[in-house]
Amino acid sequence: MRTVRRGVALASVAVASTLLLGSCAATAEETAATGESADLSQLQDDFYEATDPSASPAAANERTDSFVSTISSAGGVFLPGFYDNGWDGNAVAPIFASLVVTDDAGEPTGDLAEDWEVSDDGLTYTFHLREGLVFSDGSPLTADDVAFTLTLLNDPSYEGSVDFTKVVIVGTDDYKNADADSISGINVIDDQTIEIATEKVNPNALTLLGGQVLPEEYYGADYVKGDLDYLRDLYSKPIGAGPYAFEEYVEGQEIRYTANENYYDGEPAIGTLIFKILSSDSTLQNFQNGDIDQGGFGSDPDTLEELQGLGFASVRARVIPDLGQIWVNNDNETLAATEMRQALYYGLDRQQIVDAKYKGLGQVADVYAAPTQWSYTNEGVTQYPYDPEKAEELLDGLGWEVGSDGIREKDGEKLTISYITTTQDDPVIPVASATYSDIGIDFVPEVLDGNTAFARFYDHDYDLAGFRTDGLVDPDDAVNEFASEDPHINVTGYENAEVAKLVDEGISTFDQDERQEIYAELYRALSEDPPTILLDYRKSLSGWNARIQGGENFTTGGGDSSLALAKLSIADG
Amino acid sequence: MLLLLVGVSLIVFALFALMPGDYYSSNRQLTPARLAELRELRGLDQPVMVRYLTWLGNAVQGDFGFSLVYNRPVTEVIAPLIWNSFLVAFASFVLTWIIASVTGVLAATKQYSWFDRFVTVMLFASLSIPSFFLGLLLIKFFAVDLQWLPAGSMLDTASTSTGIARVLEIARHMVLPVAILTFLGAGSLTRYFRSGMLEQLRADFVRTARAKGLSERAVVFSHALRNALLPAITLLAFELPALFSGAIITEQIFNWPGIGRIQLESVQTRDYDVVMTITIFLAVLTIVGSFLADVLYAIADPRVRLVNRSRTS
Repeated sequence: MRTVRRGVALASVAVASTLLLGSCAATAEETAATGESADLSQLQDDFYEATDPSASPAAANERTDSFVSTISSAGGVFLPGFYDNGWDGNAVAPIFASLVVTDDAGEPTGDLAEDWEVSDDGLTYTFHLREGLVFSDGSPLTADDVAFTLTLLNDPSYEGSVDFTKVVIVGTDDYKNADADSISGINVIDDQTIEIATEKVNPNALTLLGGQVLPEEYYGADYVKGDLDYLRDLYSKPIGAGPYAFEEYVEGQEIRYTANENYYDGEPAIGTLIFKILSSDSTLQNFQNGDIDQGGFGSDPDTLEELQGLGFASVRARVIPDLGQIWVNNDNETLAATEMRQALYYGLDRQQIVDAKYKGLGQVADVYAAPTQWSYTNEGVTQYPYDPEKAEELLDGLGWEVGSDGIREKDGEKLTISYITTTQDDPVIPVASATYSDIGIDFVPEVLDGNTAFARFYDHDYDLAGFRTDGLVDPDDAVNEFASEDPHINVTGYENAEVAKLVDEGISTFDQDERQEIYAELYRALSEDPPTILLDYRKSLSGWNARIQGGENFTTGGGDSSLALAKLSIADG
Repeated sequence: MLLLLVGVSLIVFALFALMPGDYYSSNRQLTPARLAELRELRGLDQPVMVRYLTWLGNAVQGDFGFSLVYNRPVTEVIAPLIWNSFLVAFASFVLTWIIASVTGVLAATKQYSWFDRFVTVMLFASLSIPSFFLGLLLIKFFAVDLQWLPAGSMLDTASTSTGIARVLEIARHMVLPVAILTFLGAGSLTRYFRSGMLEQLRADFVRTARAKGLSERAVVFSHALRNALLPAITLLAFELPALFSGAIITEQIFNWPGIGRIQLESVQTRDYDVVMTITIFLAVLTIVGSFLADVLYAIADPRVRLVNRSRTS
């Protein structure tokens, strides 16, 4: 018995000492990480070449004519405009070509359309299709197919997510709610030319009207206005004009495609394409094993190091066109004053939040545009570095006096501000709790599940809410909510006449230089009276096996991903 | 039994309907006009009771509704997934019970031996180690370092195998997930068998049997074991719903296309039809399971039969 007790005692001492040492190491690492921060004035993509392509695993090298990428899950609805699962969008991108596509900067490139014109009043769009276009089954692609696609998406019983209400094709109302048997604003002039008249001026109309094209012969054979149920049988058998044709969907496992020999830009060099369905935790192992050729690896510099260590991985740290923000409820009496919002800005150490979240693969945001967008400029924009003294000055100026418990009060009311988020480990919570309590604000975080958080957000039942914007394409995407009078769109309740005027001006013209000037002024105005607290831009790692040539241009989900896929090839040897 | 089912379905439906937000709440691209249009099309703007009765009416006729997320009938979406989950669950169920019963009984008969202590340590490891950690560790060890087993999924990339080759391929891919589930499940079950056995070994009738001069083997395996296994029958019957409910974490780590992930997802996205169908399915299995437990118990334990007989006579 005595020996057992001594043994146990020794063991527990050993365990305890390793724990102590372990925690020391952890804190040392933390301080090193927080020291890093990107201080580029404009965040750029970084490329890291593979150091040893010959280290590529055998499993990958055996695939001499196929490219394997990943998606997180698939819904199985392979029809553009009819899927709700965003990953299905990635799945159909290689199958369906569009008239016009956009890249990360928001610049349009012609895909099926060779050329296009917009009328002087900005309401009529004319697309000129390339000659000799065919779908993957050999049937010709003409302007009739474009007309069919747009009509289908405006059918009275269409319940998908493609939304024309900000563009509105002329004649849609008659088609949806009256007896019209076609949409009058869509005009097929000849096989290669189509003219579409719209009711609202909107530069985004180009990509909305110029989206993926469905073959009328295949999808429209049974089409009767008002009844789209027949399409359900075709969800799993898509046909389009993209670089790859659908071959097979192995449920829950992978989606297989074969090169489309009828593709207008020539049959792609790689004969087979596979999207393997993997959760993000296992992407790295599968890549190491050679089971996949390309994947998205999140925003962790440790992963970058590991990828570089493999030797055969080329990596692109890509700037993502979205923004992280904390929305502020301007309708709330406490938060209505501009000075209060500025105080919240100065009183928050955003650099620390960005470092904790991205450890160098992100940057503090000051402009209502992503660094990839063509309108991005921070000229003359008021920046809000962490300055607790200035924050306290502003709060004093508003009449908030520090009470006996350290929390500010005014007219008997305490300065309590709540914060909604959907992620448990949101770094805003610890950082804001610390920095805001330093300046006398009672910060109350709430972690809610996604749908609950959004329900409260849209009901205006919040003080602060931390979310990311969706992917930004046009400069108007990030700012139009601040000019709207509709409480469902303008969830902050922000009102600023100058900003509203500039936002409207921004989409009233198609001249990019003119728009650039307007947006530069707009960004300045928004920084002086901030509607929300901007947090961050981020980079995401995309890694690919070095034997894939052209891998730096491809990311699943990119607007121009189908064009990039068509250009991939595998290096010999 | 039917009443129980209706009650369960009503409670589940009401709880989900009371949660704030619906399927469209998190879609920020839709304009308010479009949101209203969509909600009307899908019937989401109706009062809860109406929606419930509609669902009930359809379910009784065999129409389990439409998945909002997958835009396909619910049965089409979950049928293949349930089968995949069942495969892994059944294999680990068989292994778990074999391992647990053997080790539990042996550990009980050799209490305080090194074997018993070893089993106890492994048992607590099984109860404490989180599944995702073990899963990732095994993947790193067996799949990446040693390259003996695949890193996940049900089939190899671009696999076109059929027949026996396909069966073997799936079996190869099943090894790690089944191993994890077995390891994690065997812990508590072993403890159960062990303590049940220990209890029986202390009972008076065992003392009598030993006094009678029976060999230890006969005492343990013919007399004590049979009594120790009786409560396990109840456990066995309740395994039925567990076989079909999927292991959420394990399926995620190994990319096994099972029903676990979809359960979680449908709650988060408020995909009502999927949630209701899965819940009712599991409720049916649980009720059937408990009914089976009653029947099996009556067969196995003569005391239950005698009591029933004496009551009715």
